[in-house]
Amino acid sequence: MSTQAVTQQPRTGAATRVRTDAHASRLALRIGFVALAVLFAVMTVLPLLVLIKVSFSAPQDIMTARPPFLLYNATLDHWRAILNADTVLGPARHSLVVATGTALFAVLIAAPAAYVISRMSRGWRYGLILALLFTQMFPDVGIAMPVAITFLRLGLNDTDLGLILAHLVPTLPFVAWILVGTFETIPREIEEASFVDGNGKIGTLARVVVPLAAPGIAVAALFAWLKSWNDLVYAIYLFLGERTLPLMTFYYSNRGSVFDTATFAVLLTIPVMLVTLALQRYVEAGTLSGAIKG
Amino acid sequence: MRLTRRRFGALALAGSATFLLSACGQSGSSPAGKTGGGTGGGGSVTFVTSLAEDERAAIGELLKGFESSAGVQVKMVQMESQDVVNQLKAKKTANKMDIDLVAQDNLRLGPLVRDQLVDDLSGEVSRVPDSTIDALVPITEFNGKRFFFPYRPNVQIVYYNETKMSQYGLKPPESWDDLLKVSQTIKEKEGIGKVAIQAAAGDPLSVSVFEFIKQAGGDPLVLNDAGSVKAFEFLAQLEPLMTPEYRTAKFDTMNTMLSTDTAYLGSNWPFGINVIVDKNGRKDIKAYHGWAGPTKESHVLGGEVLGIPAGAPNKAGALQLAEYLMAKDTQSQLLTKLGWPPMRTDAFGNVPEWQAPYFQAVQAALKQVDARPNVPYWEDVSRAMNDAFRDVVQSKQPAKETLDRYAAAIQKAKAAAGA
Repeated sequence: MSTQAVTQQPRTGAATRVRTDAHASRLALRIGFVALAVLFAVMTVLPLLVLIKVSFSAPQDIMTARPPFLLYNATLDHWRAILNADTVLGPARHSLVVATGTALFAVLIAAPAAYVISRMSRGWRYGLILALLFTQMFPDVGIAMPVAITFLRLGLNDTDLGLILAHLVPTLPFVAWILVGTFETIPREIEEASFVDGNGKIGTLARVVVPLAAPGIAVAALFAWLKSWNDLVYAIYLFLGERTLPLMTFYYSNRGSVFDTATFAVLLTIPVMLVTLALQRYVEAGTLSGAIKG
Repeated sequence: MRLTRRRFGALALAGSATFLLSACGQSGSSPAGKTGGGTGGGGSVTFVTSLAEDERAAIGELLKGFESSAGVQVKMVQMESQDVVNQLKAKKTANKMDIDLVAQDNLRLGPLVRDQLVDDLSGEVSRVPDSTIDALVPITEFNGKRFFFPYRPNVQIVYYNETKMSQYGLKPPESWDDLLKVSQTIKEKEGIGKVAIQAAAGDPLSVSVFEFIKQAGGDPLVLNDAGSVKAFEFLAQLEPLMTPEYRTAKFDTMNTMLSTDTAYLGSNWPFGINVIVDKNGRKDIKAYHGWAGPTKESHVLGGEVLGIPAGAPNKAGALQLAEYLMAKDTQSQLLTKLGWPPMRTDAFGNVPEWQAPYFQAVQAALKQVDARPNVPYWEDVSRAMNDAFRDVVQSKQPAKETLDRYAAAIQKAKAAAGA
């Protein structure tokens, strides 16, 4: 046995123990992370699964002290009961049009404003961002009445346009806040390079800035769409003869059975899932934090 | 998939096209609940009401008869009673009242009168039929003036699980002592209470407490008289024997509690019949009129009344419609088609067979009703009852001293209201 071999042996044992310990700790962390992820996923998905299950269950499977976890006696009766033109199609159309209109208008109005704010000096920028955030402190319930009175005077009640404008009141500042952060991440040097290439201001905005900001704009549009889709307060005040889907869900939860409520809730969730799935790939880490970066 | 400019532009274009094609302008071309044209040109009446889907269909059919005879088109609009006040307030302030007639929960009338949102109908008393049930008249009056027309009386009945009650050899309680015995027995057998009163904070609890106070001969406007003290002491005795879920029990959750066997005995409005028995399939849930206290049996007189908002565009049409809804034939049809107890003593009809036992319970309960007093400080009284329940029944504070405190608060509110 050589000296080298003798001196190497203790180092190999210690190094192996260190590598083994590091490997075990990484494995433990990974297992812990996966377990937590599974737990949060289940907690998130389970209520939706219960809703879906109730909407397809026969009454005897739900109206009991210990309802089964699985679906045994499936029925389409609850869906048949609510899927008619008056109950669903009309309100769904209103909700879809209003949510889409709100998202479009919010982006069209807030994007230019956000771009300008993002290019201001730091002091002005922070002041304006704080002003935008300050408006979020007012709950919709508190300002819905004066908004409703004004809109009634303008004849905007029972119109999709009126509801869109009402939804823009809380949505615009929020969308602007998100987009400020988006535009801040686009270096000015890129715009200057575009000027050098012969583009004017508008051309630079259209061909360089907006495409780069497109993911952030998609995220802002998604938030605006979701906020408008879920609104109940302004719909109650501004829609007398018409309905939106959340309003129908509210009325059914007051007057109908749990089956009607669950069915409506699932119906309300489907477009949200579709829109979120379509746009969620554009949600990047840091999209929302840009506005508060130093 | 990259969000290229072209795709983004296509998405924006599609969205804008959808919006432009659908959104602009009034969307009132097909309002909900329009019942169809009349034969004449008598204008239209917007009638706000709060109904379940099957009730809307039946009322819609009835209103077609009115449209044919009066030549007035009716636009029926669904609105929950708690939203009516805010809607009327907004429309009145904006000077854009477009509602002609409102069927409002008679437990929510004070704000409509206090904020001058409804017209004084004292000059239209002749339209109210002489055969109107006597108990309904006081609820339509405030400060000696008539602001509403009677329309639909309602009263809570007590639902019970017949299977479970039979299993334990119990009968539906007829007195406070019976109620205690039933609650005690069920709790011993099941290990948990299964009796509920509606005790969700706000109106549900006010109604429950009001009934117990009246059953003991008390006055909710005084709150610290002998009857009120007795009522609160009894509730404090009953509380530990009830299901823990009683704290969230109100008109909608009580249906679920009874349907899922969270409660075997609990009171609720008759609309629960359609939900619990028909939709939820619990045909073993029966109903009866309820129990009596030491002094008498008493139930809060609920239901709906008709009011005409201030500034209604078609007051004449609204008055015609109100008279039609109070007519003998209409009330008989409401009884037959929906099982609604009529507001007049001369209206008769046959309820659907399966509803008959429940309707009998409603009729029996209607014989023992007390209307809530129409005083301007009623919200203060309601708040005092709620707070007293929390302190005496749930926190087990001494009844008399606690009620003395809240009685003083009520007197203060009464003085402030100038009553």
